[in-house]
Amino acid sequence: MNGFRASQVQKRWQIGYHMDCGTCESASPLQMHAPEVVDVTLTMTEKASAMLEDAFGDDRSHALLVGVLSGGCSGYMYDLQIVEQTDTPCQELSVNGFRVLVPLASSHLLNGIEIDYVDRLMGGGFKINNPNASSSCGCGESFA
Amino acid sequence: MGMHKHPASILLLQGSDVLPFLDGLSTNLVDGPCTTVFTNQHAKIIDVCDVIPNDNGVALIGYEANKTQLLAHLTSKILGQSITIRDISMLNDVFLSDEKRLEMDVATVHDSFFGTMYVVPKAHEWRPTWTLEEWNNYRVERFLPYYGYEITQDRHPLACGLESLVHTNKGCYVGQEIITRMRSRGRQGHKLARKQNPVEGATTVGQTQSLIVVRTQ
Repeated sequence: MNGFRASQVQKRWQIGYHMDCGTCESASPLQMHAPEVVDVTLTMTEKASAMLEDAFGDDRSHALLVGVLSGGCSGYMYDLQIVEQTDTPCQELSVNGFRVLVPLASSHLLNGIEIDYVDRLMGGGFKINNPNASSSCGCGESFA
Repeated sequence: MGMHKHPASILLLQGSDVLPFLDGLSTNLVDGPCTTVFTNQHAKIIDVCDVIPNDNGVALIGYEANKTQLLAHLTSKILGQSITIRDISMLNDVFLSDEKRLEMDVATVHDSFFGTMYVVPKAHEWRPTWTLEEWNNYRVERFLPYYGYEITQDRHPLACGLESLVHTNKGCYVGQEIITRMRSRGRQGHKLARKQNPVEGATTVGQTQSLIVVRTQ
């Protein structure tokens, strides 16, 4: 039985869509409380700086984007990217000589973080130490 | 054909990445129409929802009494994504049935974990045809848990008969570590059972049998 309905319900038939989805007047979008934008400060360990130095080389036209996505075992997941520019509204910081971009929408979750690099065969890579996280999952990519 | 009026909340989510957003927050693989469970970090149920993509967005049909918690859960996870949520509960009625009516042209029809689901604009004034007793008998026969009876916010999905809505290899979602550990160790604490009447502590009493959530160890 395990997984039976899970796979079964994904590819179901539908006959047509006749529900009333409303209009702006009858069902306006719910007002969602946007978290306050915080002026982010963050730090980077020497190891993380060295690894970024390797990745960037002499080219400082790119930036490290430190973001948060929804999902993961604990609700939020870190998202690190090297980008030239982004359409996402961001704060731009200079940390150890690197351009770091932090999306405004997740600034409240990232203020005070330390970007570290863990050098090991399994589970190694960049690691975020986050004082705002009340818990994190085993792999370290997700937090709440 | 029997019809039970489902005390539903209906949220319409609009935006470009709604299905991946819902997939990352719930137990089933959400890549189209399905039923899935939203759980918190402790793997307790927030709501069990039917996902119905349509031309206007994605309708998320859950239990009216859980709407506030579900909305709080969803909105706190929208981080800069262009997702809007409309509450269209007051515009539609939701019915659960034991039969598909293929000629249906006034309702959205969806194959739910709970049976055939009809979402119909209130203007059509549909009425339930089942009594509560008939609906409960149907559920006991089908070994079907339901909101407020077996499905409560102090239980996890494996404890109340929702195992089939927990995908085994979809990747991470909120509460996944705990559920996976319970499965791999074979220790889930409680499970849904059906027993011959009379059943002490039954969650749903049927004509000859009843549903009950029992301890497993």
